[in-house]
Amino acid sequence: MSTTDERRPGKRRAGGPDTGEPGQAQGREPEAAHPGTREAEDRELLPVATAAQVRAAVRGLARPHRAAAAGGFAVLVAATAIGLLTAPVLGHVIDLVHQGRPASAITAPVTWLAVIALTQGVLTASGVSLIARLGEGMLATLRERFVERALRLPLERVELAGSGDLTSRVTNDVSLITNTARDAMPALARALLTLALTLVGMAILDWRFLLVALLAVPFQIHTVRWYTRRAVPLYAAQRVAVGEQQQQLLGTVGGASTVRAFRLTGEHVGLVETRSRAAVELALRGIRLMTRFYSRLNLAEFVGLSAVLVMGFLLVRGGDVSIGTASAAALYFHSLFTPINIVLGLADDLQAATAGFARLVGVAGVTGREAEADRVPVAGQALRTDQTPGSDQGPPVVARPAAPEAPAIRVSGVEYSYRPGHPVLRGVDLDIAPGQRVALVGASGAGKTTLAKLIAGIHRPGSGSITVGGTRLPGADGDTSRSGAGGDPEDPELPGTGGSAAGPVVALVTQEVHVFTGPLADDLRLARPEATDEDVRAALEKVGALAWAQALPDGLLTVVGESGHRLTTAQAQQLALARLVLADPPAVVLDEATAEAGSAGARVLEAAAAAAIEGRTALVVAHRLTQAATADRIVVLDSGKVAEVGTHDELVRAGGRYAELWEAWSDTRPA
Amino acid sequence: MPIEGRDVLRRAITGQWRHVTAGSLLAAGHQAGEALVPVVIGLVIDEAISSGDAGALARWIAVLALVFAGLSFSYRFGSRAAERASEQAAHELRVELTGRVLDPRGGAEAGRLPGELVSVATQDARRVGAAAVALAAGLAALTGLVVGGVMLLRVSVPLGLLVLLGIPPLLLLAHLLGKPLERRSGAEQERAAHASGVAADLIAGLRVLKGIGAESAAVGRYRRTSRESLTATVRAAGAQAWHDGGMLTLTGVFIAVVALVGGRLATQGDISVGELVTAVGLAQFLLTPLSVLSWANGEFAQGRASAARIASVLASPPAVTGGGDALPRPVAGRIRLSGVRHGALRGLSLHAAPGELLGVVTADPAVATSLLRVLGRDADPESGTAELDGVPLTALDPAEIRHAVVVAEHDADLFEGSLLGNVTAAAVPEAAEPAMAAAAADEVADALPYGADTVLTERGRSLSGGQRQRVALARALAASAPVLVLHDPTTAVDAATEARIAAGIREARDGKTTIMVATSPALLAVTDRVMFLDGGTSVAEGTHAELVHGNETYRATVLA
Repeated sequence: MSTTDERRPGKRRAGGPDTGEPGQAQGREPEAAHPGTREAEDRELLPVATAAQVRAAVRGLARPHRAAAAGGFAVLVAATAIGLLTAPVLGHVIDLVHQGRPASAITAPVTWLAVIALTQGVLTASGVSLIARLGEGMLATLRERFVERALRLPLERVELAGSGDLTSRVTNDVSLITNTARDAMPALARALLTLALTLVGMAILDWRFLLVALLAVPFQIHTVRWYTRRAVPLYAAQRVAVGEQQQQLLGTVGGASTVRAFRLTGEHVGLVETRSRAAVELALRGIRLMTRFYSRLNLAEFVGLSAVLVMGFLLVRGGDVSIGTASAAALYFHSLFTPINIVLGLADDLQAATAGFARLVGVAGVTGREAEADRVPVAGQALRTDQTPGSDQGPPVVARPAAPEAPAIRVSGVEYSYRPGHPVLRGVDLDIAPGQRVALVGASGAGKTTLAKLIAGIHRPGSGSITVGGTRLPGADGDTSRSGAGGDPEDPELPGTGGSAAGPVVALVTQEVHVFTGPLADDLRLARPEATDEDVRAALEKVGALAWAQALPDGLLTVVGESGHRLTTAQAQQLALARLVLADPPAVVLDEATAEAGSAGARVLEAAAAAAIEGRTALVVAHRLTQAATADRIVVLDSGKVAEVGTHDELVRAGGRYAELWEAWSDTRPA
Repeated sequence: MPIEGRDVLRRAITGQWRHVTAGSLLAAGHQAGEALVPVVIGLVIDEAISSGDAGALARWIAVLALVFAGLSFSYRFGSRAAERASEQAAHELRVELTGRVLDPRGGAEAGRLPGELVSVATQDARRVGAAAVALAAGLAALTGLVVGGVMLLRVSVPLGLLVLLGIPPLLLLAHLLGKPLERRSGAEQERAAHASGVAADLIAGLRVLKGIGAESAAVGRYRRTSRESLTATVRAAGAQAWHDGGMLTLTGVFIAVVALVGGRLATQGDISVGELVTAVGLAQFLLTPLSVLSWANGEFAQGRASAARIASVLASPPAVTGGGDALPRPVAGRIRLSGVRHGALRGLSLHAAPGELLGVVTADPAVATSLLRVLGRDADPESGTAELDGVPLTALDPAEIRHAVVVAEHDADLFEGSLLGNVTAAAVPEAAEPAMAAAAADEVADALPYGADTVLTERGRSLSGGQRQRVALARALAASAPVLVLHDPTTAVDAATEARIAAGIREARDGKTTIMVATSPALLAVTDRVMFLDGGTSVAEGTHAELVHGNETYRATVLA
């Protein structure tokens, strides 16, 4: 049997990080971190599970399938054992020849060879498909639980870690584990079985064969240790370099027109070249390491094979075994080359997959402890269902109450700071009557977005209180009364923390647009899964998007998003507002939800926003004063404090801060 | 001469001919060595173990050592050479593709999304490079096949013919067995990729989901996708298992047939016992080079498809052709458009005097985009002329024009690097401070942990929209070009800051020509003159104040 060539193409396909999923090349842009407040250096990455937690999680996943797993394994053992009969039968043929038997004597053992081949084939196929069914099922459960946990992570925690952390766990780690479990694990299991049973077979031929075959083991152990010590950091560095190259290409190619406008072509080609060169150098270092690894294993093969041959020589000379037995032992050892190399070559894949698994289980731990303490539907607000946590498996069936009452929002004495000593809000008081529309105006950095997030329940106030419809939102004292719903981080069987199955009371729509990949109608149904086609059309109509949506190539069934039809920023923002209409929350915060559309699009969006928030208590963070001018009331925020409150006319007459802004905005005289 | 896929592939391989040749030769040596191992085992059994000759044993073990040393050495250096060829070829293609995309004459992005282009520069470049490895492996497999075949024929002609003629139908059978599998695994991969895509998509939209409380709906959607993917995967894995099992049976039966014929020959004394062992070993060995050949063939097919995609990007026609003249210096900055038709422009005439701050108002974003494209020479007008200092833009080299005319689109990208580095990308370092002050980007820097030295990640997506706009504006101002075209530079900026920026632009651009395409009254208030466009042509002209008072449509457009 050949050794290196058989594994090399496979190694190439499974090994290098450069073989990343095609999907990852599609330029996913992780969302913006919280505007301007923190950068990479003070990020607190999501936790990674300990070895004990990982083991517990694996046990938890495997527990329900123990019997089936044992059955599949037993079938594989039988298949391997039968396959190993080939060598002694061949040895028997050799003995028959050596003893000068007639040609007809060969027929019987050769028939046995064919029977062995058939049985081995059937058993291997059944065993492998049994194990694969199990493994795939466990994998699916694992990834579903993980995605569920990830989606239920408190937003504050995700922002603290940077969204890239979670995205890379969802994409890279999940696919790493999937590929390992799908390709590496079965190969490893079969190779290990072959290895173990072949050694048993050699021992049955003569225990001394086994003894000398084991001479190769110290070489192999040493080689694997030598390799993993170098390979793990090298491949990690290689993944980073490939990621950087990808980022650079995305930035450069995505910004091609900017590159041309500022004549940066030479510089950017240079940047791509540098990053690509770095990735290539690391890839070649990886290749060098791998080839040295297999070269060293060749040495172990040689030592083992010559030892078995010498032992055969000695035993045959001493009359202890026949030539056929010696031949069988040599054939056995030669056929071990491939499985041994598979096992040893997969060592680093396994290590990487274990690390990825720990990162997934680590996220599960966070949810357990801090589950959903933030976006809580306010108790006492008789608008949401009596769903119990954990009952939201599958599409949630939510009894939607008829038009919930718009609640009053009361903010009193609220302070907040992202970094100690740098307060962003300094004692904000604000009252919004039920159904009222209040515009929040102020310079950048005045704390508008922060106040918006506090009211929407994304952050908790440092001091002071916020009540919505008479119910107080969780405050600084760490009111985590709901977090008990989480459960034990070591137990993957956590009940799905139900949380806000029917959405928060105060919805938040920001300037961040994201169009979910899939048919347009499905995107909207995320806001209300049971919405009829009529509901969806009505929501689009309300925000003035029905005309263009129906004009799409496949109408409302057009696949939109990253890999589908690209929508303009204004269209994407209209979708966000249509989702809001479907979700139908009694109160809403719009944080510059019309900002990124360009001036012409802004007007369309302002009309859409006005329609979407009709009948709800609304706080609108406005950067265009025309949007503020039509609000019921305007609150001017300055350096973390409320500077002015009043209607547009009152504030313009008062001649204060707002009047100045309005002057600058509407001033028609040349400066 | 148009570039075609096969040219790309040929260039990738011939460009690395040294490494490819060395890789092929060494890999061939390795294959030959692998073929010799069972031969030497057979010889040890025949010459040493059968006869009990210790000297022969020592000799043949030494030969075995040599064979191992040779195959190990040739594998090690052959793989390295082939992989170097592959990586190097991919790298060169990547750089060439980047250069084509960024070419001042443009055209490569037409009809392609950025993600698609990146995937061409990474995945496709890698596959074309991998064709070099496939070539080396394929040549080596052929060598192994020949060496093994010759050895086998030397043992026994009938046995050799049996093996050599038996293997091709065996592999054909395997191929037929694998056909439905290939289809299934394609479908499975698609489903799996889809499931992982849905997960990443939902996480990317996490804030949006949380904002409207749609987590449960999202979980439900992912679970359904995941289960669909599971069904497909399990089916494919089952098919794969039965395929592998079938192959095991086929090769087992094949070996049995070889043993039967070989055993009969041996009992008749035509071949020795050791030769029988060799024959069985070689029969097993020869399956590998043949499967490597079919693998290499598949890799080559993929490489060809990728090369065709690369070629189509490299060969994409430039967006603007002709005109290579240099710019007359110094640039005064007079812009004149007469009767320009392009995109949404319907015979637009427009004039900006040197040093003027001209406002251009249009309610139609398509008109703004078309105007910007013409002024930056990203496109040439179908009719009419656009001139800079009396020279038609079509006569000038696009790269030259951009020395004099900087067009700052409202959705301009920032790049990874420090904030300061972004601002000074096309400017002298001293220009940074005044430009940042004018664009109120100094406030942005102040809010960041390391000020202007803070590294912007994710193409500046770590900043809010308004912060990003201000940094981009500072970059445009810092470039200090004789002509600057700004498009909606402050749409995501609050009213107070916008007023400050308007004054800043006025001051920073003093004495230089500026064309500001915008509808914000705060910005228009600082212009010298405003042109109001409707339906792709100019309908009114005057100061902002005159137009606000005298033109109802204008007032509605800017003050609505």
